[in-house]
Amino acid sequence: MVIMAADRQAASLGLGPGMKLADARARVPDLLAFDHDPRADAHLLARLAEACERYTPLVAVEPPDALILDITGAAHFHASEDALAQDAEDRLDAAGYGAGWALAGTADAALALARHGLKEGAEAQLPVAALAMDDKTHQSLERAGLYRIGDLAERPRANLAARFGAELTLRLDRILGLEDRPIDPLRRVGNIVTERRFAEPLTHIDAALECLSELFAEAAERLNQRGQGARMVRMLLFRCDGDIARLGLETGAPTRDAALFQRLLRERIDALNDPLNPGFGYDLIRLSIVATDPLAPQQLRLAGGEDRQEDEVALVSQLSTRLGRERVQKFVPADSHIPEQGLLALPALSAPAPVAWQMQPSGDPPLRPLHMFDPPQRVQVIAEVPDGPPHRFTWRRKAHQVIRYEGPERIASEWWQRKDGQQRGNGGLTRDYYRVEDARGRRYWLFRHGLYGEEKANPDWYVHGLFA
Amino acid sequence: MNNNDFDSGEPLPLNSAAVPRTASQKAAALKARLAKILAASGTGTAQPDDQPSHFTLGVDRIDTALRGNAGVDGLPRSALHELHAQSKDHRTSAAAMALLLAQRCRALQADRKPILWISESGEARRQGRLYPPGLAELGIDPSAILHVDAPDSIAALRAAADGVRSSAMSAVIVELAGKKPKGLDLTATRRLSLSAQKAGVLGLLLRCGSDADNPLPTAAFSRWQVAAAPSLALEANAPGHPAFDITLLRHRSGLYGLSARLEWNRDEQAFREQPGEGTPHAGAVPALAGVRADHPGMRAA
Repeated sequence: MVIMAADRQAASLGLGPGMKLADARARVPDLLAFDHDPRADAHLLARLAEACERYTPLVAVEPPDALILDITGAAHFHASEDALAQDAEDRLDAAGYGAGWALAGTADAALALARHGLKEGAEAQLPVAALAMDDKTHQSLERAGLYRIGDLAERPRANLAARFGAELTLRLDRILGLEDRPIDPLRRVGNIVTERRFAEPLTHIDAALECLSELFAEAAERLNQRGQGARMVRMLLFRCDGDIARLGLETGAPTRDAALFQRLLRERIDALNDPLNPGFGYDLIRLSIVATDPLAPQQLRLAGGEDRQEDEVALVSQLSTRLGRERVQKFVPADSHIPEQGLLALPALSAPAPVAWQMQPSGDPPLRPLHMFDPPQRVQVIAEVPDGPPHRFTWRRKAHQVIRYEGPERIASEWWQRKDGQQRGNGGLTRDYYRVEDARGRRYWLFRHGLYGEEKANPDWYVHGLFA
Repeated sequence: MNNNDFDSGEPLPLNSAAVPRTASQKAAALKARLAKILAASGTGTAQPDDQPSHFTLGVDRIDTALRGNAGVDGLPRSALHELHAQSKDHRTSAAAMALLLAQRCRALQADRKPILWISESGEARRQGRLYPPGLAELGIDPSAILHVDAPDSIAALRAAADGVRSSAMSAVIVELAGKKPKGLDLTATRRLSLSAQKAGVLGLLLRCGSDADNPLPTAAFSRWQVAAAPSLALEANAPGHPAFDITLLRHRSGLYGLSARLEWNRDEQAFREQPGEGTPHAGAVPALAGVRADHPGMRAA
């Protein structure tokens, strides 16, 4: 086993990555060793990246151990760019993480400098290993007497490219700041971001909510100019001790209605599993509109008539926010003849435009039940073999005498969905459905699962639904 | 019950010419006062003029009997009504009745607002959930249903309160199971009832497994008991159209004991009384005569 990473104390004892664990144990007998968990590392790094959003919206994760912050034009809240970086280091230090940083014109230069503990302007002193090519290339460079980036920088690019490949010159240019590469920020930034910073942290939750409402009103103003409405709003409340509370809101249709937003926000707060705790107070509150849809600039309603479309959207959004989007549903037909698969219950927030359901025009009684059991419930049935209708059945320990019946309606399984379904015996069981009515006037939907003797020796019966 | 032949809202046309002018003014003033009193008592509501304030079942006998103090056929549209399943076995019939009443009510509106259906998820899992193709078979468009799967009865009632308040829905149906659903009390139903009245929404409280002898007191306008009834068989002894036994248990105008056996006619989107013996009907089964609709023993069954 090999050491992947070591903390400050271990490093001061001369232990470091690449060393064999057995050797390290020999040196430091009471060494604490933990299994390397790259996923946990990545997770932590992503969380740190989110925390760094307080400095700039453009934060990229550079695995395995670095973050790139594009602070172009974002340093005006600090005395200087150095002060900003120092603030980040202090905060990380307070949280128990050691960090090295560097500022540079390009992401790669900053990365190389930080990894080798140098500061801006010292690119020439970087070892060639900073190019992050393979070991062989590094060795041959050193064998050629080129130890530092500065040595390489003086060489004509064409010769280097001929000897070590174009990749090397590209990386060299990036470190020297002659070439730049775009970073991949953590998250697409909301089109519209409004935020408020407080000299004195807000310790009251109501004040914070009031502030969010104001921020939304500001954002709505800008949305109005663009002819858009918010579909998804993300809110971040930065606590002064580094904790971040995040809230999300989704609406059923684009909206710019601050009153609606306020109502939804209240619902969201009420539905939180762990309530918002301002602790020592929020020093930064940010609201971003993450998703938008076109919404024509508001038109005044004529004669004060109420717009019911809007009312419905507001209701759907409100219920979805409180109960969760999966719990507020619209029904959409699905293309399947298997009864329980003939419908989809989609969240009303994202349901498509209403689709026409098949309506029976004739004078038939309902052929499908109003209530359905999923999964169907077993019943004991007395029926003629092989394919007679049910005469009596026992369901939930009560016996029912069948007075009237209609059927069977035979529904075959979807054999084409199965492997070798076209072959005999592999297609799944056929169902024979009967509409039956018992002596007390209750109507049931029963089915025999499997054809007697052919698909199953002794088919089971189930009740699948109840008619009105 | 037999005052069908004149419009209750207007003075008699024959008299209007005969009475002196001052009398007609007096009548108008009295009518205005009556409307005020009715509005305060919850029987009459502030409805836009183009929409009727009451909805009917489509059965003349029942609708006229339901007039009560309001003087209009049927049940008020902007109010809370309660439907009790006779027992747990009759849950589906009660649900269908609620949906069909909501459908009748919705058909009166020009803009055809959707119906909000709220149920408790645990109950739906155990006792069967709403199956949209079955709704379509009853003549109700499933895409007009907004389905809310509430985690418990308190959340269900809260969702219902929001639905009733918002006037985005034509009807709000909330289904609660058990003898004493948590959160269901006089205050909650009063709130629902007032909001329904204010927003012009039909509220339906569907109770399944309630205690027949001791139903919880509520502020509903009317309370009905619903049970499944044997249908009239079609050809080859097939089960026929949905049939219900309904009984009026309580009505704010003091009506009581009204009961009927109704059949839903999907094509006309109306109920009709199930023809008993002696009434010619295709496929009528004489054996059914033993359980007539107005039989006094029916309610006890």
